[in-house]
Amino acid sequence: MTPAKHGHGPSHPAARLYAQEVQNGQMSRREFLGRATALGVSVPAAYGLIGLDSRAEAASHGMTPRMGGTLRIQMDCRALKDPRTYDWAEMASEARGITEYLVEIHRDGTLHPVLLAGWSANADATEYTLNVRPGVKWNNGDDFTAQDVAANITGWCDASVEGNSMATRMAALVQDGQAAPGAVEVLDPLTVKLRLLTPDGTLMFGMGDYPAAIMHRDKIGTSVADHGIGTGAYMFEQFKVGEKVVLVKNPDHTYWGQAYLDRVEFLDYGTDPSAWLAGADADEFDMTYETVSDFIDIFTSLGWVESQVGTSATVIVRTNQEAEIDGTRPYADVRVRRALALAVDNAIPLELGISGRGIESNNNYQVAPGVHPDHAMIAPHRQNIEEARRLMDEAGMLDFEHELISIDDDYRKNTTDAVAAQLRDAGFKVKRTVMPGSTFWNDWTKYPFSSTNWSHRETGIQTLNLAYRSTAAWNETGFRSDAFDALLNAATAIADNTARQATMAKLEQMMVDEGVAIIPYFRALYRHAKEGLLGAEMHPKYEINIHKLGWA
Amino acid sequence: MALFILRRLGVMVASMLCMTFIVFALTNLPANLEKLAKTQAGTRMTDAQVQSWLARGGYAQPMLRRYGEWLGVVPGHAGDASAGETAGRCARAAMQAGLDRAPRYCGVLQGNWGYSTKFRAPVGQVIAERLARTGVLMFWAFAVMVPLALVIGVLAGMREGSATDRTLSTVSIASTSTPEYVSGVIFVVVFASSMVGLKWFSGSAKSAVDGITFHNFTLPVATIALYGLGYIARMTRASMAEVMTAQYIRTARLKGVGFRAIVLRHALRNALIAPFTIIMLQFPWLLTGVVIVEELFVYPGFGNALVEGAQNNDIELLMAVSVVAVVVVLITQLISDIGYALLNPRIRVT
Repeated sequence: MTPAKHGHGPSHPAARLYAQEVQNGQMSRREFLGRATALGVSVPAAYGLIGLDSRAEAASHGMTPRMGGTLRIQMDCRALKDPRTYDWAEMASEARGITEYLVEIHRDGTLHPVLLAGWSANADATEYTLNVRPGVKWNNGDDFTAQDVAANITGWCDASVEGNSMATRMAALVQDGQAAPGAVEVLDPLTVKLRLLTPDGTLMFGMGDYPAAIMHRDKIGTSVADHGIGTGAYMFEQFKVGEKVVLVKNPDHTYWGQAYLDRVEFLDYGTDPSAWLAGADADEFDMTYETVSDFIDIFTSLGWVESQVGTSATVIVRTNQEAEIDGTRPYADVRVRRALALAVDNAIPLELGISGRGIESNNNYQVAPGVHPDHAMIAPHRQNIEEARRLMDEAGMLDFEHELISIDDDYRKNTTDAVAAQLRDAGFKVKRTVMPGSTFWNDWTKYPFSSTNWSHRETGIQTLNLAYRSTAAWNETGFRSDAFDALLNAATAIADNTARQATMAKLEQMMVDEGVAIIPYFRALYRHAKEGLLGAEMHPKYEINIHKLGWA
Repeated sequence: MALFILRRLGVMVASMLCMTFIVFALTNLPANLEKLAKTQAGTRMTDAQVQSWLARGGYAQPMLRRYGEWLGVVPGHAGDASAGETAGRCARAAMQAGLDRAPRYCGVLQGNWGYSTKFRAPVGQVIAERLARTGVLMFWAFAVMVPLALVIGVLAGMREGSATDRTLSTVSIASTSTPEYVSGVIFVVVFASSMVGLKWFSGSAKSAVDGITFHNFTLPVATIALYGLGYIARMTRASMAEVMTAQYIRTARLKGVGFRAIVLRHALRNALIAPFTIIMLQFPWLLTGVVIVEELFVYPGFGNALVEGAQNNDIELLMAVSVVAVVVVLITQLISDIGYALLNPRIRVT
């Protein structure tokens, strides 16, 4: 893919401010690229602003693959549905060869246009102009126009659709559960104007997320598996949920971009990594979706190429302040929650849970240092068992038996076990309950004390809005604070990075003081592929774009 | 005889009704319906969204009524036609058959097994495909297991207490006391992994779907066969040992008939009556026993469908699975009863 110019006219003023911060050493290059491209500055221009050549980035992409060939990928083959309700990244990867996205987020955190030719935002990030890529056709022969873009964005804003997670990402456009009147306007067949109710500098990241697949304007709310209409170069040859999904190049469709492989097979090997290893040993596939735990070293020792990416993905061990056990709410007491957090040395779950494959968190808040551009340093976490016991005793809960629930799998179970062991070492009574994946998620927000894995998001404020706002659908901690919400509103509206960090520091400190959750580490993700496969590097969001993959 | 078979078929229909009703009741417990809604429309849905999804899909109606719909004796839930909904099972059936109007009844009696919410395909199609694959696996497992077990059993039983008997009995007991999830893992590690490095066979039977080879099918077949092998061999041995002490064997020996002729011509037929029943009993056991092997070797067969169906509360798939289970159990028992009578003229089926 050619990263075309996607900014028009002079650079966004905020981007120039960021560039200054980079020069002053207040912001990392990675943060800068993510922030600047989100505001509509093209990648070469963004590199230019900080005095670098964009070929530095191009070099990391390596060679161009040759045309043709077959690729077999080990991945769970899940059923497709309305993309807005996708709850697994695998679904998007199955369909990405057919339904594409307006923008995409690269491994380095930069935004690139796909079905857009470019976009720009005004100074305070309340108006976005989206320029639709000309010459793109749907595989049913229709032209791809601004009407398609507007119809999709309007659809994303529809909060009445069960399981539509895009409505949260588009919150700045939503009023009363629908797109606000006048928020989405088609100016001409190639231009869409978005008017936000509140400033939001993260809007374009939302459009690069996996549920934001672009459907034909007449097919909003349908599953692409049912009709196969999309802009991508591929079509489904076979779609067997739980078994295999096969895509081949669509011979009746002229694709606007470049695609290399003739055939891609996604093969489902279930959830047991030893079955993946058996499949790899039997040479049944060429690339894993994600390699986990001890299997990372084993796959590498087989001679497969390892790729790694640091993310803000984590496992949080959290209490639910509203959960009732036998008529009482044990975790409504902040002393109990703080005691649990203080009893844990976060380096231990990192070592025992994920064998050190990741970085230890700074403190118990869900903003990743070194990954999230809006992370603010606050005082780090220190284990203090005496203080933990004192607080627990003061709350009269030393004899209480905590039931710590986790899903039955490798790293989440081990991480939770490590936390439980440390709680026991501190003298607290802990009972571990392990639930199979099929039942664990039924009540995941309601467990009194359990662990949950959270995926990577590009900015810290996105995660906090999703998980800790008092009205958030995914608020699993029962933490509902007006003060916190007010700070969240303030932080979300801040376009400037430095000013945002100051508010983020307050939010982070509040999470620590309230003992909202134990957040021990942020994971690095791994993937393995056979030698000679290009474009298969691990992505922070597990993204697989079959248009870009190919054999050397 | 005809009356006997007819009566057995009657029992089969009654068992199916009971069985499916129990499965239906269990899969329609409120918690299970919630699980269904969440696996279908989004893991992280709110309670209100779950309720509205269930109502739209027709899951909110009384359970008996919906069991009737599944059976095909109550008109199917059609969804709200004015709102353009096609959620009802009859509408989907019509769509698949290419009809303009949905039929009123569309249950099992009308030949519609429903729709698998996990595999997104008609249940009939899923079951047929999966049963065929498991059938292939079972055929090879039986083809290896039964002759081997009978030979071992007969060799061990014809001279009770001999060194051959002791050795073979030890092997049989060891094999039957090793469950599949132990023997399967050992096989994979020894014969398929890079760790040991032999790599004679494949530890994954995924590619067997596209074509069975010696390489990809040996380990799953061996794992299943090994477990049943010892059991059948022990039964055959016991039966053989008993026959060998019978009066007519002694008479034959006194007559001067050779040992080989005694075993093959006189003892074998009588000794095989008991193992025959045991072998027939292995069919229903294998049908569910393959669950472990199919999961271990990633072979998408009937056992895998059962696991996936149960994990995702795929109601109509589980119903069909239970019907198949009842049919297989009762048919194999019927064959075993009739076959028993044929092998042993002293027994009559009435």
